[in-house]
Amino acid sequence: MSAVTPSARASAFLRSFTIQGSWNYRTMLGGGFAFALLPVLRQVFRGPHLTEALRRHTEHFNAHPYLAGLALGAAARLEADGCDPELVRRFKTAIKGPLGGLGDALVWAAWLPATALLGLIAHFSGAPPWLCVLLFLLPYNLGHLALRLWGFRTGLRWGHEVGRVLREAALGRRTESVSRAGALLLGMFAGLVCTVGPGASAAGLRGGGIEALWLVLAVGAFVIGLLGGVRVWRPAAVVVVGAVVSILAAAG
Amino acid sequence: MLLGASLLGGALALDSTSVGQLMLSRPLAAGLLSGWLSGDLRAGFLAGVILEVYLLVAFPVGGARFPEGATATVVAGVTAATHPGPGPLALAVGFGLVWGQLGGWSITGLRNLNGRVVPDPAHSDLRPRRVAGGHLLALLLDFVRGALVTGTGVWLADLVVARLSGRWPLGQPDTVGLFMVGAAVSAGILLQSFGGFRRRRTLFLVGLAGGALGGLLL
Repeated sequence: MSAVTPSARASAFLRSFTIQGSWNYRTMLGGGFAFALLPVLRQVFRGPHLTEALRRHTEHFNAHPYLAGLALGAAARLEADGCDPELVRRFKTAIKGPLGGLGDALVWAAWLPATALLGLIAHFSGAPPWLCVLLFLLPYNLGHLALRLWGFRTGLRWGHEVGRVLREAALGRRTESVSRAGALLLGMFAGLVCTVGPGASAAGLRGGGIEALWLVLAVGAFVIGLLGGVRVWRPAAVVVVGAVVSILAAAG
Repeated sequence: MLLGASLLGGALALDSTSVGQLMLSRPLAAGLLSGWLSGDLRAGFLAGVILEVYLLVAFPVGGARFPEGATATVVAGVTAATHPGPGPLALAVGFGLVWGQLGGWSITGLRNLNGRVVPDPAHSDLRPRRVAGGHLLALLLDFVRGALVTGTGVWLADLVVARLSGRWPLGQPDTVGLFMVGAAVSAGILLQSFGGFRRRRTLFLVGLAGGALGGLLL
C-alpha cells in the first residue's frame, strides 16, 4: 500500500462521491468505480498493465453509493499489494450484493425517511423553513459522510477481509434501531398533522389543520398504504392528480 | 427566472443521484431553494413539504425507476412562489407530481445513453483519458437533462396556472386536506417499510399520542 500516496487516496475518496455519475444498465457503477480508482491505479500500473487494470474495474459492479467506498478502498489495497487480478474480480463480485442490500435498507429505507420526518415535524411545530431543512440535512449528512468515510478507510485497511469487518459492524442491527426511531417519528408526524389547529400559524400547512372529512379520508388512505405497500403509491398519486383535474373541470 | 430555475434544477438533478447525494435535492430542501429563488420562500417551501411527504417512499434504489423529486419540486416550488394562493398551490403540486414521473423517465433514457458514453470493458482502447472523459460527459449530460426537464416544466406549469388557477374552488385548508389524504398513503407505506404496524405499533402509537398532544399544546 506504500506505493499509493495519501493524495491519491484522498482523490479516490473524493471521486467516490460521483461514483453513480455514469450509471448505466450495462455496467451499472462500473464506469464510476474505474473513474474513482484511477488516481490509485495510475500510481501502481503503467502502460498495458494500467489498461488491463482499468478493464477489470470498468466491468459490471453495483452497490449502494455510500458503501461502494468500502469496495473501492479494498480494491485500492488489493491492487497496491499486487494481488492476483482474478482475486480482485472475485472479491468485487462477492461484496457487491451485501453492499447493495445493507445500504438500501439502512440508508434509503430507514435513515433518509427518519431524518426527513425530523424536518417535517419541525415544520408542523412552527419552526422557520431554514431550521426545518437544517434539522433534516444536518443529521442526515453526518450519518452519510461518516458512513462513506468509515467504508473507504475500512476497505483500505482490511483489503479482502472487509467482509468480516462488515459483519462485525452489524449494520442490520443499526437498521433495526433507525427503523424503530422512524416509526416513533412517523407517529409524531401523524399526530401533529391531525391536530395543528387554525390560527396556530398564519403560514403554510399549520394554517389549516385537517378537518373531520379530510381526517377520515386520510386515515383510510393511511390504511390503504399500510396494507398495499409501495405498489399503491403510483395509483394514489394518479388519484390525487385526477382529483385536482376533476375539481377544476367541475368548477369550470 | 426560467434560466435560474433551470440551472437550479440541473444542479439538484446532479445531487439526486450523480454527485454527492447530500439530499439537497429532496423536496424539503429543493422547495426552500426554489422559493428563495422566486422571491417567496414560504410558498416554495410549502410545495416542498407536500411533495416531501409524497416522496418519503421514493428511494433512488439501484436501477429502479423512481419519480424525480428534485425537478418536480423546483417546478412546483417556483410556480407556487410566483402565483400566490391555494389554486396555484394545488395546480403546482399536481403538476409537480406529474412532472416527477416524466423526470423519472428521462433518467431511464439518460441511463440508456450512458451505456454508450462509458467505455465498454471489452473494448481495447481503455486509456485513462477515455474512462475519465466518459464519466465526466455523463455528469454533464445529467446536468443538462435536469436543466431541460426543469425549464420546460416551469414554463408549462406557468401557462397552466395562469390559465386555470382562478377556477380553483377550494380554500387553503381544503386544498391542503386534499393533498394530505394522498400523502397519508405514503405514510402508511412508510410504516410498512419501517417494519409494519404489528411490529411497530407501540412506538407508532406512542409517537401519535405525543404528536397529537404536542399539536394541541402548540
